[in-house]
Amino acid sequence: MRGARLALAAAVVVAAAALPFVAGPFWMGLVTQMIVFGLLALSVDLLLGHAGLFSICHGSFFAVAAYTTAILHVRHGAPTLLAAPAGLLAGTLLGLVFGLAVRTRGVYFILITIAFGYVVWGVAHRWSSFTGGDNGVTNVPFPAVAGMRVESHTEYYYLALGVAALCALGYRVLIRSPFGLALRGIKGSESRMRTLGFDSNRHLYAAFVLSAALASLAGVLYVYYNRFVNPVAASFPVSVEAALMAIVGGSGTIVGPFIGSAIILGLRNWVSSFFELYAAIMGIVFIAAVLWVPEGLVGLAARVRGRAARA
Amino acid sequence: MTAAVEIAEVVKEFGGLRAVDRVSLRVAAGERRVLIGPNGAGKTTLFHCITGTLPPTTGRIAFFGQDVTRLPEHRRTALGMGRTFQISNVIADLTCLENLMLAAIGTDGRKWVLHRPMVVFADVRERALAGLELIGLGHRADETPRRLSYGERRQLELALALTARPRVLFLDEPCAGLSPSERVRISKLITDLPRDLTVLMIEHDMDVALGLADRVTVLHQGRVILEGTPGEVQTNAEVREVYFGHG
Repeated sequence: MRGARLALAAAVVVAAAALPFVAGPFWMGLVTQMIVFGLLALSVDLLLGHAGLFSICHGSFFAVAAYTTAILHVRHGAPTLLAAPAGLLAGTLLGLVFGLAVRTRGVYFILITIAFGYVVWGVAHRWSSFTGGDNGVTNVPFPAVAGMRVESHTEYYYLALGVAALCALGYRVLIRSPFGLALRGIKGSESRMRTLGFDSNRHLYAAFVLSAALASLAGVLYVYYNRFVNPVAASFPVSVEAALMAIVGGSGTIVGPFIGSAIILGLRNWVSSFFELYAAIMGIVFIAAVLWVPEGLVGLAARVRGRAARA
Repeated sequence: MTAAVEIAEVVKEFGGLRAVDRVSLRVAAGERRVLIGPNGAGKTTLFHCITGTLPPTTGRIAFFGQDVTRLPEHRRTALGMGRTFQISNVIADLTCLENLMLAAIGTDGRKWVLHRPMVVFADVRERALAGLELIGLGHRADETPRRLSYGERRQLELALALTARPRVLFLDEPCAGLSPSERVRISKLITDLPRDLTVLMIEHDMDVALGLADRVTVLHQGRVILEGTPGEVQTNAEVREVYFGHG
């Protein structure tokens, strides 16, 4: 079992490394996008799959980080070493503020995060002297650090892949830690956790800020891939789709959000090439996923394996 | 000597209903106190007020001399309160071992560790396993409570409270719904607890209650109607009236 998993992991690594040799620029761009949005979905799932909070404002952290990095590069000529960490920091600081939403639960939490998301989208959209309005900020350069410069989309793909892999490893440590176990405890029974001595609001707040930081990192990766950022990055659909990617792929797992991201972005690309109502198709896919495969594809695979093992 | 738990004039109202009506209690350290009373007497609500699940409407609650009336629940746990719930409240998605490991770290700083896996803390695992052994579930450490019987979940509930190493244990009907053999086992387990652990227990079963108690408090319609030794309570006419009905 363990050997099979190692072999699978090795196959994935080899395939990921070899991909640019077989796929053209269009496919490389799409796969990079899948990685970036997979990371965003992973950040949402720290709250959704582990702490039991359904946040719909992660597009905000993603966009604020992207805007910060883009503006520092384009208007101030800042180096990557300043612009990228500043983007990460700005999104995380916003997370410190929006994290106050953890004082509420359930539908109130969802509504507050939606409202937060609209505030950020409204600022991006309307404060055009600073954000560039609907046009956004364009001509963001590829990242360059100490003479090392990303020159092509293929090189950027490797960078994004490396960052995502490191994040996945860090995430794995986090969810196995006492802190991660406590989050799952709070998801399971908050009243029990409080009587065991856990200050559930503080744990959830910390999880929210960590999750915002990861979404911000995804935002920084996004802006270098996209080379521009506009209010779409902060829009409601981005936040909702990030959650749906996690659900479709398999909430509460690490590969799930990435698989979900690949499915949704792949499907959107394919469907929208011949069908204008792709948003409607996506909606139907989401409904089907929630109704029939609520545990996501990873969960479905486990269920099928379990059935095969029993048979 | 300071009392382990001392509450004065505690009132809890829900809308117009006065569930707990000016209750005062003093439980000495090391004492085993049983609260009895008919359904709706306010026993569980009183527990909620003492352990911080619900804030009292008025009144004062002291724990080993310290005023905890306004302290949140998790801080009271850190001071040494531990409790079980009337309806089993265990974390169904985690394994029994993980449930108890959380109980073991709930009041120490390691609950904030996020860069090391839980498995490296061998002492936490030991404590959790010891808690499972205590209730005879050592062999089911890696199963989730979903697969346990009702009675086993009740026992896991008790193990959760004990693994947190409380100074005062609040048990809300630990034997409710158990089979006769499980009931004997749990009663024995509670009887065998170290004597320096103060125990407050709500219990409907008079045999269990009177066998365990140093002193008994009888609640009726939110008020204390009697406090005394098990013998005194058993022979009291008023208690027989409200508790056992006419006859």
